[in-house]
Amino acid sequence: MLSPLPLGELLVANGCVTARQLDLALQRQRASGTSSVVSAHLVGRTLVEMGYIDQSALHECLYRQFATERENYLVDSVVQPVIQFERVVKVLDGRRVLDAVDLTIPANRVTAIIGMSGGGKSVLLKHMVGLMKPDQGTVRVGEQPLAGLFGRELSRVRGRFSLLFQGGALFDSLNVYDNVAFPLREKTKCSETEIRARVMRCLEEVNLVGMERKYPDELSGGMMKRAALARALVTDPEILLLDEPTAGLDPIIENAIHYLICDTFLRTRYTMVIISHAVPEIFKWCHHVIVLHRGKVLFSGPSREVNASSDPVIRQFIRGDLDGPIQVI
Amino acid sequence: MFEQVRQLGAASMDAIREMGRMSLFLMEIFVSMLVPPYRWTRFLQQVHFIGIRSLFVVALTAVFAGMVLGLQGYYTLSRFGSEALLGPAVALSIIRELGPVLSGLMVTGRAGSALTAELGIMRIREQIDALEVMGIAPMPFLVVPRIEAGLLVLPLLTLLFDVIGIWGGYLVAVRLLGMSGGTFLGGIESAVEMHDIVTGLIKSVSFGLIVTWICTYKGYYTRRGAEGVSHATTSAVVLSSVLILVCDYFITSIML
Repeated sequence: MLSPLPLGELLVANGCVTARQLDLALQRQRASGTSSVVSAHLVGRTLVEMGYIDQSALHECLYRQFATERENYLVDSVVQPVIQFERVVKVLDGRRVLDAVDLTIPANRVTAIIGMSGGGKSVLLKHMVGLMKPDQGTVRVGEQPLAGLFGRELSRVRGRFSLLFQGGALFDSLNVYDNVAFPLREKTKCSETEIRARVMRCLEEVNLVGMERKYPDELSGGMMKRAALARALVTDPEILLLDEPTAGLDPIIENAIHYLICDTFLRTRYTMVIISHAVPEIFKWCHHVIVLHRGKVLFSGPSREVNASSDPVIRQFIRGDLDGPIQVI
Repeated sequence: MFEQVRQLGAASMDAIREMGRMSLFLMEIFVSMLVPPYRWTRFLQQVHFIGIRSLFVVALTAVFAGMVLGLQGYYTLSRFGSEALLGPAVALSIIRELGPVLSGLMVTGRAGSALTAELGIMRIREQIDALEVMGIAPMPFLVVPRIEAGLLVLPLLTLLFDVIGIWGGYLVAVRLLGMSGGTFLGGIESAVEMHDIVTGLIKSVSFGLIVTWICTYKGYYTRRGAEGVSHATTSAVVLSSVLILVCDYFITSIML
């Protein structure tokens, strides 16, 4: 199992900054009253502010680390499944949206689910958290089958998850701060001081400090996604599900969100499942890829192997060709 | 012919299924009411939204309903030389019928439609799903405080309607038509019994449940985007209003 990486140690190990520079940055954070937990998360930003590293070099360092892990995926690890689908069938409005789906989500890795619009990806995600129940088959989280769970038992299993919805699903009547604080206020016994510290840490991580008093309808698409990501992260989930986190965003914001996901993964080692249409870009940011087409799993394996697939549907989807087995127009 | 019978059958089955779903929704509400935690803050917010913010419209409706009753009652009773019965006629009409019914209809129009729209938008924007994923049961969090607020607020609004409505009738009868104030109020004192007030209150509690139950149900199960919210809001208001009148008839016939 991979352990979380303190960003400072990672930067020093990769020769991006010296140990002395890292010490100075941490001292500056301590002097400004930042807690040690927050320091570990935000030292990269302090190093940039102090001029020891520029932003692009910081991102490059993070990406290099992730790319190394991605290339070694399956070689260096014995992967535990955290979510399993066994012959899952779901029929909606007379259409088999999931057609005897068998799949496994590896623990502590980033898995991307790709496929055509309407191919059943979001339905798959909703089955993972029990928002939908299969007509046939079994969905397991760990060893626990979700079918038949109700009330507190279901709530306990859901407590392992956070889900970033496609539209953010921020509560319109609450500002950004209260939205992020919401799950802590409702589900934990944290004091307001502790809640404030955790909320501000998450807002710093997604670079939304200063936006706490804004309401969702005052945010841009990118800010909305980042605020929703902060709310998803604030509960320290084991499993983070992201439903099209970059849909409708410009390429720069899309890239920023990918770096943010990579940064979060390296720091926390959450199991992440990302539904994405950002093909082939998303292959750089995940260990494992699942291709879903017309309710069936066409491919499930390391991201570096998906490009080599000889399946004509996968090839057409990756290239975006109009000619091929998928007829759109 | 066969096709028409089939369509009729399908529509009947849909209606029965919908009634079943609504009954299950109501049962789930009652069960959730008994299970802690009790969300007092959200309950008070809903009391403010459904009750306090409906005060003006209920008061306005009450004063004009009372004035119209005063005018029409005087006109009718004077034909039979029974003007002295105007006070009891106005008071009993308001306390037994118009108070609960018009308060229920006003709350449906002002607050019920907003309840449906708010929950409907939360549903289509996946905010209700988000609550479930956070492990927060939406029923006690979103629906129960609204139902409890409706049950408390409607009787209070009805009592307010009764007082203002009778005052409106008094204004017309005594100030405009020159009737004796003592005759008007004395008639009310001798004619109105506790049973009349209790009947009005039972109706208002029932209407409070109907409005909040139907409106939250329609909002909670909204589908198909903005058009779905619009459809849910319209059908919630229409169904609540019709059910208020139907229920009014049955309670009246039982309590007479």
